[in-house]
Formats: sequence, C-alpha cells, structure tokens
Amino acid sequence: MRKNLLYIEDDREIGDWLSENLIERGYHVTWLTSGEKITDQMEKIDLVILDIMLPGLDGFSIGQRLKKDFPKTPILLLSARSSIEDKLHGLTFADDYVTKPFHPDELAARIEVLLRRFEKLSPAFIQLAHLQIYLDQNRILDSRTNNEIILTGKQFQIFTYLLRHPNQILTKEQIYEAVWESPYIEGDKTLMVHIRHLREKIEENPSHPQIIETIRGIGYRVRQ
Amino acid sequence: MKFRNSLLTKYLLIISAALVLWPIVLPVYYLPKHFLDKDSKEKIIYMDTQELERMWHREAKKLNGATSDKIDKRLRTLKRQYSKAMIFWVDANGKTKLKLPNRRNIPNKWTLHDSVEFMKKSVGTGPFTIVAYIGGDSNQGFMVFQVPHSLTDPLSISVNDDVYLLLYGFLVFVLFLFISWLFFSKIRRRLVQLQTAMTEVGENGIPNKVAVSRLDEVGQLGLSFNHMIDELTKSRMREQEEEVLRKQLIANISHDLRTPLTIIRGHAYSLQKESLSLKGKESLHLIESKVDLLGQLFDNLLAYTLLSAGKYTMEQKKTDMVRLLRASLASWYPVFEKEGFEVDVRLSEKVLIWNVDPQWFTRVLDNLFQNVVRHAKSGRYISVHTEEQEGKNVIIIEDKGPGINSGSQEKGAEMGLSIVSLMLKEMNLDWKIESSSSGTRIYLLEKS
Repeated sequence: MRKNLLYIEDDREIGDWLSENLIERGYHVTWLTSGEKITDQMEKIDLVILDIMLPGLDGFSIGQRLKKDFPKTPILLLSARSSIEDKLHGLTFADDYVTKPFHPDELAARIEVLLRRFEKLSPAFIQLAHLQIYLDQNRILDSRTNNEIILTGKQFQIFTYLLRHPNQILTKEQIYEAVWESPYIEGDKTLMVHIRHLREKIEENPSHPQIIETIRGIGYRVRQ
Repeated sequence: MKFRNSLLTKYLLIISAALVLWPIVLPVYYLPKHFLDKDSKEKIIYMDTQELERMWHREAKKLNGATSDKIDKRLRTLKRQYSKAMIFWVDANGKTKLKLPNRRNIPNKWTLHDSVEFMKKSVGTGPFTIVAYIGGDSNQGFMVFQVPHSLTDPLSISVNDDVYLLLYGFLVFVLFLFISWLFFSKIRRRLVQLQTAMTEVGENGIPNKVAVSRLDEVGQLGLSFNHMIDELTKSRMREQEEEVLRKQLIANISHDLRTPLTIIRGHAYSLQKESLSLKGKESLHLIESKVDLLGQLFDNLLAYTLLSAGKYTMEQKKTDMVRLLRASLASWYPVFEKEGFEVDVRLSEKVLIWNVDPQWFTRVLDNLFQNVVRHAKSGRYISVHTEEQEGKNVIIIEDKGPGINSGSQEKGAEMGLSIVSLMLKEMNLDWKIESSSSGTRIYLLEKS
C-alpha cells in the first residue's frame, strides 16, 4: 500500500522537486505551501514533512499542534535552519530533523525509519539472517528449525528497542535508560550481561555476532 | 519639593520645639502649684516687695493728720488684706498704739535704744520690714509692716530645693529624646526598606519597584529608584527584542543561503539519473560535495560571527564527558564507516565530569571530526580515547592523515578550528595540537 505523506513547503522549486522525487520512490504525496487547514486531511496521513520558515504559522507552531492532536503520526522537520537551538526546539515535538541542503537518499532512509518506528510500515515479519521476527505478536522464529526462540522480558525489550532503531548506533546509556527507565551508571555491566545472554539465544555464533553488532567503545547496532 | 513635605522642616520643628521648651515648660510646671496650692496663692501678694513698699508709703501718706481711731481702723483693714503680715504703729510720743497681732517683742514705749535695735534687726536678720512716717511727716509717728523673708523670697527654681522639678526636667528631656528617636528611626526604617527592595531581585532579574507613600526626601529617593527600574526594564526589553531580531536575522540569512543550495543539490541529484559521460558524473559528484561544504561553511561563518561578537549563549554545567563523547561518536560512526575509517574508541570506565556547555562541546567535536573526515581521509583511522596525564583527564582525538600543515587543506578548516579554539577558551578548556606528516593528535583538557 502506498504511504501518504503530507509535505508542507513554501518554496515552490524545492517543493516541486522533492514531491516529484518522493512520488518516484513510491509514496503518495500531498504538497501544501502553508500549514492552514490541514487537520481535516490528517486522518489518512502516515507522515508529515514540515518546513519551519513558512508564511503565516511557522513550522514549530504547526508541528506542536499536529503532535498534540495526532501523536501517532511522525513528524519530520526539513529546514534550512541549522542552529542547534532550532534542532533542539524542533525535536521537542518532532521525531526527526533534517537540514537543507539534504541528500534525497538520506531523507528517504529517515522517512522509512520513522514509518517503521511508528509501525506505519508493518511487514508481516522482519527477516534478519535466520530470524523471523513478528513484532506485533512478540514472537521470534528460527527459520532454519521453525522453533520459537523464547527471550526474557528484558532481552526482548533490548532487542525490540534495537529493531525499532534500525541502522542506528545506540549507546549503552540510551539502551539502558530506554529499557530500565533509570539513569545509566558508568561501569555498570548489567546491559553487557543481558546482551551476551541475548546473543547466545539469537546468534548463530555468539562469539562472532552477526545480528547485534558491537560498535566498540560506543554501543550496538542492528542492521536491516 | 514642597517645603512642608521636607524632612528638614520636621527636623527644624523638633529642634525649635526643644529650644523654646524650657521657657514654656517651667511655667507649666508651676501652673498647677499656683492653682492648687492656696498657700502659694496667698504668698504671691508678698513677693513683689517694691509694690509692697509703695503700697505702705501710699497708705501712710493717706493717713496724714488722721486720728488714732482712723489709723487703727485703716490698719485693721490692711491686716485683713495681708493676713500674714505683722502690722503696728507708733505715735509721735513713741508709744506703740496698735499691734496686729499682738507681739511681746515690740516695746510699748519706744526709746532711742529700741528704735536703733529694731532698725538694726530688720536690716540684718529680721523679717522684711517697711517703715513709713504717717502722712510722710516724722512728727505724726510711724507705721511698720513686717513679713517673714520666707514669704517675700521669689519662688525657688533651683533643682536642689525641688526633687519634683528634677524629675520633671528629666521627663521632658526623655520626651524630647523619644521624639527625636521616633523621627530618626522612622527615616532609618524607610531607608532600610528601600535598601532591601534594591537588593531583592524580582523574577526578571531586576529589583521590584517600591511603594511610595510620602513625598519627602526618602519618598523622592523611592520615586527615583522606581524611575531607574523603569529604565532598566525598558533597556532589558530592548536588549531582548534585539536578541530576538538578531536571531531572526541570522535564521533568515541562513535560510536564504540554504534554499538555493537545496535546489542545486536536488537538481544535481536528479541529473545523476540522466545518461551522462564519466566526466559529467565526476562533475556532478564534485558539485554535490561542494554544496555540502558550502552549507557547513555558512554554519561556521554564522557561528564564528556570533562567537567573536560574544553573542552565542553558553550554559556551562557539570557534564558526563564519556556519555557526551559516546553520543557524538554514535552519530559520526556511520560517516567514518562510509569513508572506510578504522574507528578506535577507548573511553574511561570511570565517570568523567567536566564543566562545559554540552551543545558547545558537541559542536567542538563536530568540527574536529568534520576536519578528520575531510582532511585525514588518507589515514583511514580515527582514535578517540581518554587518558590520565599528570593527574589530569585528557581527551585525545588522533588521526593518521597528512597533518594540519601539509598544505593540502581545503579552505574552511581554519574557520572550523577557530570556532573550536574560541569555544574551548570560553568554556575554560585547554587544547593543543601535535601534527606531523604521519598524523595529528588533538588533546583536550581542563585548565588548571
């Protein structure tokens, strides 16, 4: 099914080109030049791409309002404003922030990640090496033997957190704080122990992990 | 300021009150005595001795040639008037006629010796005495008026004699002190209130206004203070408006510069899909990379302008540097990976807390990593590690590129490093660069 993207951009040249590019990539794109009267269309929208400098209401205000009314629709800010203050302000409500000029492939990749994170893209399962992962059913199958792999609660939480941020390097702090919901203390080995046990269950060869990649000194990553 | 509002007026009033106090206060002290004490009321007629003398001589003159009976009668009348006095008269023969009251020490028949003795006594220690010849004529005899000195003496105002006067004076003095104290303590209290108001800072970082109830000098000071607060608030608001305006301007400039770049970037991307010669593809690739570089240059230019003008807001706080380094590396890792770098990260197992602005430090790292990607690509190696050197924690960023002074640098690196330098200096951090043709090491450490 084609995903519906709402694209708000006042610059005609950029808007023209990007919406064409996104249509070529297989999305259904609604391009508007201002943020007025968009709420009635929001029901069928899967993702919003929002410029910040707009005539009338600016992107910050529109985004905040949209996030309040439609918290399940991801918002990607696409702006020429590159200051860290703008990014931080934007990310208080938006789910991603891409600065202009941007590479269209990068933008497309980020759109995919957001759609997946918000489960707007729901493939029946994710195939990772020999694993078939059914996120909606909390089920993992070993496709070689068709046996279900049983994970403990924490192991499953760690794995799904990594799966929801595909191709992203997540630091120890990020994973620990997302799963345990308490601040990470430097030197704590709990996470490492859990990942070791997790790997013993899902990796073909736990000493040479293929699914959960260790980025030495930084964190972990799952490629999809 | 109106004169009646002035503190000076009040002060002068108090001082003048104090100065004219005594002449008013003393009669006030004697007033009740005068009205309540009958004795003293009677005494008062004896006090003016000159008047008494005049009265006595006048009476004596009136009795010129009068008979004994007439004289007796007149004297009895006078005695009723001056009840405390001793009155008698002696006729021309030296015989005492009437004694009021009857006293023995007055001889009935006056000899020369008696007269001299009497005069001597009355001038010396005796009572106050007036002697007048009847009718002003020594041949008609004389009449005498005597009162004790205790009656003729003026009222005593000596504190030695009057304990109550001492107490009274003391009370008046205390009252004066109390009023003065009240006056000054009131001023003092208002000044202290004003001082407190000036030190206490309101929510916007400016002291609040004070309430002015009276228009004297202290009140005027309060009004001036309020005026100053108004000016301060206005200028603070102007400053904030300028800040907003400046930020808006920067954002607009950045936006205006980046919009055409975005269009160029987009169309260059679209061109890639057209059939192009190899040379054409190379050109396109160059255009794309230069567009990216330009975007970063704008950022750096704006950041540098703001930084060198001291207009970049910094918020230093205790920051876990290991976490910050790791987060920054996590976002840069894919870039290094794409360029084929070996990434060697060895961060401290212990918490490393520095007092920095996390955003600024991230920006410093961004600039340093950007430089490595751009200028040390040939080394295909980056190492970020923490070390203890001479008891201090040092962050080391190392690459195996051709070195900073290799001359092969693209433009833009300098501005990136200037920003790093400025930001580190503002955050009170030290840095040094060791660069050779086989690589560059950058050390970041806290200033001692």
